[in-house]
Amino acid sequence: MADTKYLFQRNKTWWVKVAVPRLLRDTLGYDLRRSLHTQDLDAAIAARDAVVLELREEIEEARRGPKHERACRTPAFSDDERGFLIKRREDFSDVTFLLEVNAPLLAKAAKPGQFVIVILHDHGERIPLTIADFDCARGTITLVIQAVGKSTREMQQQCRAGTYLHALVGPMGYPSELDARKVICVGGGLGVAPIYPQLRAFKEAGAYVVGVVGFRNSDLVFWQDEFEKYCDELIICTDDGSAGMQGRVTAGLEKALAQHPDTERVIAIGPPVMMQACAETTRPLGIETIVSMNPIMVDGTGMCGGCRVTIGNDIKFACVDGPEFDAHKVDFDDLMRRLKRFRRDEQQATDNWQKATV
Amino acid sequence: MPVQDPVERTHNFDEVALGFGLDAALLECERCLMCPNPKCVAACPVAIDIPGFIQKICDKDYRGAYDILTESTLLPAICGRVCPQEDQCEGVCPVGAKYEPVAIGRLERWVGDQAIEAGWRNVPYIEPNGFRIGIVGSGPAGMACAADMAKAGCEVTIFEALHEAGGVLRYGIPEFRLPNDILDAELENLKALGVKIKCNTLVGRLFTIEQMLDELGFDAVFIGTGAGYPSFMGIDGESLNGVLSANELLTRCNLMGATDFPANDTPLGLGKRVAVIGSGNTAMDALRVSLRAGAEEVYCLYRRTRKESPARVEEVEHAEEEGVRFEWLTAPIEILDDGEGNVRALRCQRMELGEPDDSGRRRPVPIEGSEYEFAVDTVVYAIGTNANPIIGQTSKIALNKWGYIETDERLATSMAGVYAGGDIVTGAATVILAMGTGRQAARSMKAYLGIRDSDHIYDTPTERTDTIFGIDPNEKSHVRIRVA
Repeated sequence: MADTKYLFQRNKTWWVKVAVPRLLRDTLGYDLRRSLHTQDLDAAIAARDAVVLELREEIEEARRGPKHERACRTPAFSDDERGFLIKRREDFSDVTFLLEVNAPLLAKAAKPGQFVIVILHDHGERIPLTIADFDCARGTITLVIQAVGKSTREMQQQCRAGTYLHALVGPMGYPSELDARKVICVGGGLGVAPIYPQLRAFKEAGAYVVGVVGFRNSDLVFWQDEFEKYCDELIICTDDGSAGMQGRVTAGLEKALAQHPDTERVIAIGPPVMMQACAETTRPLGIETIVSMNPIMVDGTGMCGGCRVTIGNDIKFACVDGPEFDAHKVDFDDLMRRLKRFRRDEQQATDNWQKATV
Repeated sequence: MPVQDPVERTHNFDEVALGFGLDAALLECERCLMCPNPKCVAACPVAIDIPGFIQKICDKDYRGAYDILTESTLLPAICGRVCPQEDQCEGVCPVGAKYEPVAIGRLERWVGDQAIEAGWRNVPYIEPNGFRIGIVGSGPAGMACAADMAKAGCEVTIFEALHEAGGVLRYGIPEFRLPNDILDAELENLKALGVKIKCNTLVGRLFTIEQMLDELGFDAVFIGTGAGYPSFMGIDGESLNGVLSANELLTRCNLMGATDFPANDTPLGLGKRVAVIGSGNTAMDALRVSLRAGAEEVYCLYRRTRKESPARVEEVEHAEEEGVRFEWLTAPIEILDDGEGNVRALRCQRMELGEPDDSGRRRPVPIEGSEYEFAVDTVVYAIGTNANPIIGQTSKIALNKWGYIETDERLATSMAGVYAGGDIVTGAATVILAMGTGRQAARSMKAYLGIRDSDHIYDTPTERTDTIFGIDPNEKSHVRIRVA
């Protein structure tokens, strides 16, 4: 009898079947199968070995885990009393800057969609920031910050490579779900950096990814290479048309939706007005839309309830129930009203700080 | 006990209850009957030898009194301040049948304060046994469990999500009830036992309980994450600016120093007319913090009467002296908007007490047509908390239907080697109960790890003759079996 190891017949066609080790059955299933497209046994035996090797390679790939989580053993606890070392700083414009912070455990644990809380100094407030990138081989996470209020402007002034953050805690919130096959990722303003790890994760999970990112003008554009690397299509929008197409990100989103009516999910991160506009764009089309909420927060662990948001008829805490929610259920007016809660205090703090630094 | 003047104290965060002086303490301990079968010990969640330490004060052996206290409680200076003694030791004191009961809590506090002042510290010689214990949460339950495990020779690490350790003792209980210096001193005692404290570590998200056991090399884990997920009522207007939880108010003040805004960056955003809903101990803290943070009029709204109020009597009295106005038998039904998204007023309803409910308290029933508007600009909710969801979200540990961790009577969770205690098991309770469960969990963990007799102090007389090769035949021979 002929050697039919790994082979089986289905509708007279020969197939190859390789069993999956028990530990990987959650991700890959019980076995991997592939058709040899032949009904002739001799031809099947000839083609078999190459296909078996390919399937085995697929299993090895799965054993190593997702690409950017690879080669990361659980690092030791840091004993540095000074805080968290800033390894690198990069300025994108006069308000936007990047900090790469040393935090090996955090870099290993972080997943797309999660955020951290940063404290600059021992009088500082707890500032929630979405993780813009993480690299567990380097043991760092990256934050992209817009200097708009007192604390972020102070960070812009004080944080240099080689200085320390007083505290850094996270990752907080549920990670994003990466199960869609065709997605449009929209990032505007301070949402451009946070959309990046999601877009990359979708791409690595095998989805078709359309990126839409918006800036005021061409001078403010950053990370274009990175975005292009992980997008099947990238649409850059600028308010004045100095780079990419002219218009807001919603125009870019409409264009992408027109080309890809079979989009399964839209993810929008940015200022509340922009996320609301994206939600209204997709609502008539009935496409699932996810937004990342950025309310005022204190502890970030579900303890204070300051970050509560209205989702449909429910009250949710963005820090532990979110930060991502179904955009079509979010009450954006409520979010925007609650963001103004400390407007007067914020103004006073900024004025005092400006007076003191001039 | 002497207290700060009520008018004076509403303008500062200094401690209200000034505590005993030496003479007052000596006088007070003379009142103890030294019952041969003391009820107070049985009523204490951590079973302090109460007559024992009081006797030592009478003997003027203050260090001895401290030694007796620290055999049972890790934090005498804290428990003396925040325990509800009237429901525990002082509640069953026979002296209290006819007169004021012996002020056990104040005596305990006095001894604790003496120890901090004099720098007494009971650090036993600890033989390391190689076991590593991870404690999640640095509140009272975690601190108590950590101390017991460290004394048994384990290498203990406490993980805290916030940037400062202490849990509710830090963010919840205000400075005027528990000064931060006292807490710092007690934490130093813990560190002297070899306990490591890692702040800024959000267990569950940074690494899971499963990872602690599988990858990080912990032999057992204790979860004491607390019940810090504030409840709201679900009435209209709750998302208006000016509505916040007592937890948020207290965290901003105690942890972030918002009363010193703008010197500290965290704003408080408290108005001039503040209504606190609820009448528990947290509500009293929120009321009294609001007064000190500059609110002009502070009201407490409770749907039952003063008699049913769950707060300690002393706290209600202190709040009243300071000028808090109590609106008993009142429940809010709506929060009204000023047109710009801020709170303008509360719509309230008067209540009356009906038949007793399951909890044995009389059920409040609304009075028809009694609705009225009550002008306030800040509404603080202090109506209780739910279980913190993070551990439940990130591990396979079994929870009950309310989201609290399910444990057996030994406080073991559904996962081998993982124990839980404090509010995350019992629901919102007191500091001393949390400490009690922390110690109970420590006992179970020791049994699980096969550590025996670490509570027992051997003082074998040297002139004994009945030893076999120098080994006391009564001493338990112990074999430590490591359970994987």
